[in-house]
Amino acid sequence: MLLLLLKRKALTARNTLSSLRGWQLKKNIVFLCTGLAMLAALYGGFWRLLSYLEGVQLIGPMLSWKLTSMVLLMTFSMVIVSSIIISMTTLYYSADLKFLFSCPLDLRSLFMDKALETVFYSSWTLGLAILPFIIALGRVKALGFGFYPAYALLVVPFVLLAGAAGIIFSMLVMYFFPSSKTRDVTWLLGSLSVGFVYVAFRFSRPEQLLRPDSLQVVAQYVQYLQTPTAPYLPSWWVTKAMIAYSAANWGAFALYAAVLLLAAAAVYYAIYLMSGKFYMRGFSGAQSSPRFYGTRKERPEQRLAAAHPRYAALLTMYWKDRLMLLRDARYWSQIILIFALILVYLFSVRQLPLDTPDLKSFISFLNVGVAGFVVSAIGLRFTFPAISLEGDSYWLLKAAPLTAASVMREKLLVSAVPSLIIGLVLITVSNHLLHADLFISVLSTFTIVVASVAISVMGIGLGASFPDFKVENIHQLESSYGGFIYMACAMGYLSLIVALEAWPVQMHFAERFGRHNPWDLRAVVFCAVSFALLTLAVTVIPWKLGRRNLERHEI
Amino acid sequence: MIEIHGLTKVFGSFKAIDRLDLRVEPGEIFGFLGPNGAGKTTTVKILSGIMRPTSGRVSVAGFDLDSAPLEAKRRLAYIPDEPFVYPKLTGWEFLRFMGDLYGVDPDAQRREIPKLLEQFDLAAQSGELLESYSHGMKQKLLIASVLLRKPKVVLFDEPTVGLDPRSIRRFKTLLAEIAAAGAAVFMCTHILDMAEKLCTSIGVLNAGQLIARGTVHEVKLLSKAPSSATLEEAFLALTEDAAGGLRPAV
Repeated sequence: MLLLLLKRKALTARNTLSSLRGWQLKKNIVFLCTGLAMLAALYGGFWRLLSYLEGVQLIGPMLSWKLTSMVLLMTFSMVIVSSIIISMTTLYYSADLKFLFSCPLDLRSLFMDKALETVFYSSWTLGLAILPFIIALGRVKALGFGFYPAYALLVVPFVLLAGAAGIIFSMLVMYFFPSSKTRDVTWLLGSLSVGFVYVAFRFSRPEQLLRPDSLQVVAQYVQYLQTPTAPYLPSWWVTKAMIAYSAANWGAFALYAAVLLLAAAAVYYAIYLMSGKFYMRGFSGAQSSPRFYGTRKERPEQRLAAAHPRYAALLTMYWKDRLMLLRDARYWSQIILIFALILVYLFSVRQLPLDTPDLKSFISFLNVGVAGFVVSAIGLRFTFPAISLEGDSYWLLKAAPLTAASVMREKLLVSAVPSLIIGLVLITVSNHLLHADLFISVLSTFTIVVASVAISVMGIGLGASFPDFKVENIHQLESSYGGFIYMACAMGYLSLIVALEAWPVQMHFAERFGRHNPWDLRAVVFCAVSFALLTLAVTVIPWKLGRRNLERHEI
Repeated sequence: MIEIHGLTKVFGSFKAIDRLDLRVEPGEIFGFLGPNGAGKTTTVKILSGIMRPTSGRVSVAGFDLDSAPLEAKRRLAYIPDEPFVYPKLTGWEFLRFMGDLYGVDPDAQRREIPKLLEQFDLAAQSGELLESYSHGMKQKLLIASVLLRKPKVVLFDEPTVGLDPRSIRRFKTLLAEIAAAGAAVFMCTHILDMAEKLCTSIGVLNAGQLIARGTVHEVKLLSKAPSSATLEEAFLALTEDAAGGLRPAV
């Protein structure tokens, strides 16, 4: 039965691909090529990094394996978080579940089908992103072509084990808290716990050992490099298997591969057995809605709309979206995790091992890129999907006397303000912690303000260019072509503005170091104009494309 | 008023609507009938502005949907067969949202919404989230939202699906009231009995083409069915003839 259920997915995928024609086909080819180019660029970056580490005297190979274990640990953690977020929707709220439950299907097979879907959606983007690293690792260490099928053998149980965390969490929550109100509370408490653990872990400063000068003896550092990174987690087993492969130690490779495969098999067999008892009650509970008693009070936006009729449509859509977001527990759990991410980010900045004020100012400048990346990543979860999350109800707006532009403007209003606030908090607090000088502080603050708004506009524009009103969870949008293009464009934009600003920053530091007449006005004007044109391009083009696409979109 | 000239809609190589010409006057209740896949819902979606025609012109309440879509949409109301609404809004909030979206005076909304909720037996649930509403309750809520804004053109696509018998009877009364107030009503339905009793005129669509148009009596004559035949019998005769390649002249 599971094979029958999986077959329908394979047929859907095949029909989707074979039905691509004309503009849709060209668009997909372009995006595929763009994605491949991005992966190639990532490969180039990783190859340089790993080549450098590998070339370090005495400890080079240990450094690169340590980095590998940390990358895998990070990937493992992110897949767990992803699976926690999307598993409940996939397992209990998929659109086809009511139909499938009414069919003579074995309940366990049905659960496993949805569980595998959860694992896929929570891991495929990360799996793809880590691929350039693995390819670079194989090249740098000259592991031969056989390394890659071996990696494929290891990565499948690896992601299955990570995905199992979210699946088991959702299954237990839905079984023990079938009432949706207690379930929402539990969901929030679970997110709070994950966030707290994440923050507490980071605050315990594990990187203290990473600094050789924090250890009295070099041998301690070497010992640290040799110490397993989270030895009881699958990320370390994958690392050990790859180390064994590189040393042609086939016995050890087979051992670790077997541990991974058997662990995955055992966990999923347990899930399979548990689902027979837990799934039905959880799904039944999912059909109920919480009791809710709304008020009839006038909203502030409605009062404002009465005073300013010109903005009535914008304000009406705004209060609708505000209520929808406030009442959805899934958004709150993501906001909690974002808050934890911000705390950890600022703490990491504070802990950076920087000795001189100039170095701190320089890092503060580079921090623009990192803060911009955080804003982009948050935008991938909230801004880019904003239009698509209208879902099946989008027909209400499409049939209403509203232009596509007005819908997009409202979504921008909802997204841009939080993005701007997050960007400002990250940069101003970082600048304060790093004691950045006035020039750098002003420049970085101005840059993040502009970049946050630009990335939000880009997100809404690209979200309108790639709308999908039928998705069941945000992750499907994030891991779509459109989501990929959004992140690629955002990263490209941030890289370019940092590169542009490096020129005047260089002049600034030259002046600080006493160089005579370091400022080239023409260069500064060139950078300023280029910055403005680039920002204009990344806002106007996606916005216009998105508006046109949304106007033509048919339901 | 609804005016359709040469409306064609093509999906890839499939022609869903083929050169449709139609006119529905204010105060008229027009029943749009046809077998499954005939193109009725596609026609209604184009009239509501959520789909674009491949060719042809459509105007609603005197405004062309292509050149003046906002003006047209201000004057029309569309109720789809699947009442997708915002799950995290309450019934009251949804009606306020629709009222605000279509520019209904807030004082009028505060006066009328409680009456509409009572009229549709939704007052007790008006404070609950729409995700807890049944299909029929959502359908009634959408119909209530139509009455709130008093449109010039109303488009219904299978409006009675999910409604209980009392609500269906109430709906029939409302339909007559909406038309009596001067709105043009365009209704797709498979319930031929209701169409026969309520509609001032009907059209039969088959494979994207209008094969019959007129009053119920005129359509029966066109089908060459006996005068005592029901609309259902006439419809079946017309669509069977069309399937066999014999299309009665419209």
